[in-house]
Amino acid sequence: MSIVPFLVVCGVGAFLGMLAAPFPRLARLMGVGALAVAFLAALTIKPTDQLTVGHVQLATSWYAGLFLSSAVACCLIVCILGLAVGWPERLAPAALATFGGLAVAFTATDPSVVFAAIAASAVPAILVAIGARSEAPVVDVSLAELRTLGLIAAGALIASALVLQPGWTTSDPTFVFALAYLALGLAVAVRFGAVPFHVPAARLSKSNVKLGLALSLVWIPAGLGIVALSWSTSLFQRQGEWLDVAVAGLQVIAVATLILGALGALLHEELEEIATYSIVQDAAFVLLALAARDADAAEPTRLWLLAFIVAKSALVAWVVTLSSTHGSSKLQDLRGWFRRSPILGVALIGIVVATLGWPGSPVSEARATLIRLALPSQLQFLGIVAVFGAIAYYGRLIAVGLMAPGELVKSSTGERPRWPQSQLAVAAKSPRTRAARAALRAPSVKAPPAVKAPRAEKAAPGNATPVAARSISGAAGHLRSGAVRSIHAAIALARQLPAAWRLNRRLETSLLVLGISVLAIAIAFGGFGASKASSTGISLDAVVAPTPLLPILGPTTPPLATPAPSSVTATPSGGQVGPVVSATPGPSGSGVGSSPSSGAQPSQLTGD
Amino acid sequence: MIEPAVVAAAGVVVGAIVAVAARDRRVVAIGLLVAMVAAPLVASPLPESLSVAARVVGAVLAAYLLWAASHGLHSDSSGSALGLAAESAIAVAAFAIGMSVSMVDPLPGPTVAQAAGLALVALAVVPLVGRDVLRLGVGVVLLVLGSTLFTAAWLGPTPPLAHLAIASLLTGIVGATSVTLGRQPLIEAAAPVEEPTAPATAPGLDPPRPKPSRSRERLKSPSDQPSVWAQEESGMDQAASEAPAIEASPSHTAGRAPASRLQRPPRSAKP
Repeated sequence: MSIVPFLVVCGVGAFLGMLAAPFPRLARLMGVGALAVAFLAALTIKPTDQLTVGHVQLATSWYAGLFLSSAVACCLIVCILGLAVGWPERLAPAALATFGGLAVAFTATDPSVVFAAIAASAVPAILVAIGARSEAPVVDVSLAELRTLGLIAAGALIASALVLQPGWTTSDPTFVFALAYLALGLAVAVRFGAVPFHVPAARLSKSNVKLGLALSLVWIPAGLGIVALSWSTSLFQRQGEWLDVAVAGLQVIAVATLILGALGALLHEELEEIATYSIVQDAAFVLLALAARDADAAEPTRLWLLAFIVAKSALVAWVVTLSSTHGSSKLQDLRGWFRRSPILGVALIGIVVATLGWPGSPVSEARATLIRLALPSQLQFLGIVAVFGAIAYYGRLIAVGLMAPGELVKSSTGERPRWPQSQLAVAAKSPRTRAARAALRAPSVKAPPAVKAPRAEKAAPGNATPVAARSISGAAGHLRSGAVRSIHAAIALARQLPAAWRLNRRLETSLLVLGISVLAIAIAFGGFGASKASSTGISLDAVVAPTPLLPILGPTTPPLATPAPSSVTATPSGGQVGPVVSATPGPSGSGVGSSPSSGAQPSQLTGD
Repeated sequence: MIEPAVVAAAGVVVGAIVAVAARDRRVVAIGLLVAMVAAPLVASPLPESLSVAARVVGAVLAAYLLWAASHGLHSDSSGSALGLAAESAIAVAAFAIGMSVSMVDPLPGPTVAQAAGLALVALAVVPLVGRDVLRLGVGVVLLVLGSTLFTAAWLGPTPPLAHLAIASLLTGIVGATSVTLGRQPLIEAAAPVEEPTAPATAPGLDPPRPKPSRSRERLKSPSDQPSVWAQEESGMDQAASEAPAIEASPSHTAGRAPASRLQRPPRSAKP
């Protein structure tokens, strides 16, 4: 039942957010508020919780909760950032709708529900792509997003139907599996913007979507990747000529994306395009995981996807913040940005560390494992090439930032902390108005004479008692006046705080980006339980393969999920061609109308 | 006795044909409504009433969004490039193929679901490659609807939660199409009116004439045709000054007005 509040908040927040879209202030308030509540609701999702909707069980898992929490946290930070650098129109309601769909997809035990939900969760990308500006390229981007959505939905639905149906009349049963594998792999590749399909992503980066890039290129594809992974590491492990051809095709796409994505990021001048190609390059590891078809690839891919969503959200936030700080997103205009925005520089280094790690770190090991499992030994040097490519384009960004500042960077205020000038100082600088002249004529605050009074009394030694009394009263008065002055100063300080807040927007946004990059580092290195959660899976994993929904903690661990043979007949490594989920009588009770929805029961999934 | 699934399949295909072939956006919305309402009923046994209700509510909402987006727009959809008869023929042919092919044995769902799914996917192909927002949206809806019909045919009854997810998916697609459609008139209004410029031509050659590549780009009536002078005047100055007088050969004058009428007299070099 703990998934219900999250679903309700996402649904209501998305609906009200769309309704409030014509009223910008209300839309911002609602968006940030709903995301904050959704984040709290995501934190309260309990692993191995169950809910029955119709004939379908929604079973939560450790990994689903962590994935949703991370994604919602990223979206919340990005939207708060948007309050300062430009509110991303419709991002908050669209993201809430997406997270609701992902929650259903991650928890449903019925494959047809999972794939319908994951397709529905991809719809909001169009809403973000449309934007507010009426320009012809925006419509082009919307058309591309519509086509992408159609391909994803059709691919996912057809793949689920192909895999779940056991009675194909074809002579080579692996042909059907190859078709399903190809449909699913292409859906993932197209949504991620892998290299032959990268044009929509590149157009999206040029269409003033800004912070909305995170939804379209990071959060939605990552969710699709998680769902596709659960089948890739179990159902598609069988051997077959057609399946091998399909795998080879996906390997080619992955390798091309790995190399050409880095090259694209290295050659482009716009920060948005660099970020887009960087995301595309890192998406190649998900394709490699699909091509690996190995159960050992599941855990590193899950960890990689967790790090991916946070690190790439941080990269998008970094790009938008840097562009907003210096007024341009062209790299040639941003010479010397590091000198003026050192916090953003540190944030970029943090993003690099979270993405690449170092030898032996969890994220680096995850990348290396995926390369090792997915590619033949002759091509495994590509992992090193990918790392060097990423270092090259990140290094280029940093090198440009360390150059002598250009005109645009010089003219920007940067991150230097500023404090609002006092009224007197302002008046002294420009005593032209009547108010300014009045402020100048007003008596300035002087030190009270009570400080000097005791010294004068010290000179008269024969009058000790009145002197002591006067000194005590003087000290009391001094204290009183000091307290009054302190209160006045505090009030004045409090009055200046809003102005100071407004003056230091650049600094605040940079700190926010730094915060999200620190979060990315933490997750990439296994923090917040990421390593343990990655050893578990989503509900679909538990349906098709005995994957635990709770992390393995030791001898006190609850019994692992072991689907009953009567309900789940998938054999990850066997050559048996059969239904993933056994056919059980449908609602009418007719044996023919078998429904895949009645697969694993929650008790079978969680071991209860 | 005719089964409800057969009637529903016929309704799905007819609605899809109407949605693909119609020019009036409101007729497109009605066609989509019929197809989306009838699609969940192409099942045997019929789904639960709650599932049907979810799909019907989603379909009505989607059709309303499209109807509302079409209100006040100046131009209709470009309609089908193939025409109603051709679209109908394609749908009927695909339906017949779907009825005759048995890829799954035994088929858990009705055969008409497979046939209707194939018909919808066939109808969706042409709109998917175009650039008309409405037609592309209709194509995506039909593609997804056809895919759901395939799953209904190959996997049997759809779970209620899947019906809910599909209803959300279809409503989202149509809603996104409507919002994009709402932006399109703004773009057309905001686009600056550009004067036709003279294309660069090599000396001695005719300036290339723009040809309508698609049927929908052709003008409807002769009264809409710009005059010959309006077509040629802009490009004639440069061509006449740079090129020598073009000999009126059959290859040059094919399909054009006589050169003597089109060409202005060459400017005299003398003051």
